[in-house]
Amino acid sequence: MTGHFFWNGEPVAFQPGETIAAALLRAGIVDLGQPSNAPGGRVFCGIGACQGCVVAVADAAPIEACLTPAQDGLQLGSLPAIGTWHA
Amino acid sequence: MREAPILVVGGGPAGVSAAATLAEAGAPVLLIEQRDQLGGAVHRQPAADSESHVWRPARHRHSWAGLTARLQAATDRIEIRTQSVFLGVDGERRFLFDDRQGGVVFTRRPRAAIIAVGAVETIRPFPGWELPGVMTAGGAQVLLKETGHPLEGPILVAGSGPLLLALSAQLAKAGNPPVAVLERGRPWNAPKALARLALSWAPMSEAAAYAAALALNRVPYRCGTTVTQAEPDGEGLKISIRIGETQALLRVRHLLIHDGIEPNRTGVPLPEPDADVPVLLAGDGREALGADAAILDGHRAAMQVLARFGRADKAAASDEPGLQRARNFQADLARVLRSEPIVPAPETLICRCEGRSYADLAALAEDASAREIRLMGRFGLGACQGRFCGPMIAELRGQPLPAATSPRWPLRPVSVAALARLTTDETE
Repeated sequence: MTGHFFWNGEPVAFQPGETIAAALLRAGIVDLGQPSNAPGGRVFCGIGACQGCVVAVADAAPIEACLTPAQDGLQLGSLPAIGTWHA
Repeated sequence: MREAPILVVGGGPAGVSAAATLAEAGAPVLLIEQRDQLGGAVHRQPAADSESHVWRPARHRHSWAGLTARLQAATDRIEIRTQSVFLGVDGERRFLFDDRQGGVVFTRRPRAAIIAVGAVETIRPFPGWELPGVMTAGGAQVLLKETGHPLEGPILVAGSGPLLLALSAQLAKAGNPPVAVLERGRPWNAPKALARLALSWAPMSEAAAYAAALALNRVPYRCGTTVTQAEPDGEGLKISIRIGETQALLRVRHLLIHDGIEPNRTGVPLPEPDADVPVLLAGDGREALGADAAILDGHRAAMQVLARFGRADKAAASDEPGLQRARNFQADLARVLRSEPIVPAPETLICRCEGRSYADLAALAEDASAREIRLMGRFGLGACQGRFCGPMIAELRGQPLPAATSPRWPLRPVSVAALARLTTDETE
């Protein structure tokens, strides 16, 4: 049985037990940033060390996509780059 | 009152070996793992319910089967907490953990702690290494082991070390061989070390199997070749490479890079084997010697803790010959693959988190201290805490960064909500 979460509003399918990062990459979503973010977020080290794949979660704290198992109905999106909201 | 457990952080080969050894000696163990399954990077298991299996060497399969059998046999003495991230030790010597599933931080006061959090990959920076589509070889390998599916589209593997070969063979066997493997080193320049390596049967038979998989899939393996730049190119990347004096261009979807590994020590408590609550490091997180040595090193650390509490005769000297063999092997490997550091182009990002370039680094005083590089240069101040730019700067400046400042928690970002729900074991 597969499920879906949402990436910036678009549904992304995942296999049971797989991480958010695995599902995003299989869906061809490589750039995890907003167009204004440079460089955009990305899955890089795969072990939670680089923090490059941290994504925003609706109503919860941001998480590393590479560590976190995907869950049905999760609302995920690009994290604003640090400082963009203060400019 | 229950006996306080001995804490083991990290469910890879070193941590599981340590946990099993402690439990077999009758000690209660708390084993902490950030992922939902044990295994670490090398023994990463397929995602739960997934039937996909990636080809891996028999030696590793047997090692992991042996370790998990030992864990199971001692299961009544081992409490395993998965999806829990070690955050460090607070001012009152409490060990803090972020329970990601429960959304709560919990604390423990263990009798001793063995920290086995593995290694991080080192990267030699070039313009564009920070782009989406560029991933570490180790990160891509972990992903492949979990999903059973290779990344889609053309892949280039570049950098240095045996992992390039292993990953490329696994990608090929999973159905998407890389367009090429670019090894920076020139092994033929160090014939003596190469000859010594050839006598190490287990890793060499493994390497031969990988090489055969690459040959079968006609994947070119080029030595003395480096990536000089990556640029966005539609949905993919345009990669500039240098082969000797020749320049070439490749268009790929994914670039997988890797230039070796270093112990993951950022923020990790310093070893204090003689403290009231002894803290020891084990595995690649202590000394990057590879998966086989990590099992020995976990055992060594566990025996040292047991000896400290009078539960073993003495720290196990029996592991030392095996560790020394691994050390010699890694030293020969380093000699064989050694290459001169390259001064990056000025625009090359060094600290990706804070967007700091090589030009920014070069603008700092030549004798700038690690503290000045951090506070004035803003290198290593971002979310990764310098885990990637630290080794880069160390190589470029010939000095380690970050300096051995006393570790502070949290090692990793943690939500205020989880901290506010903190639970302690003080009442036990």
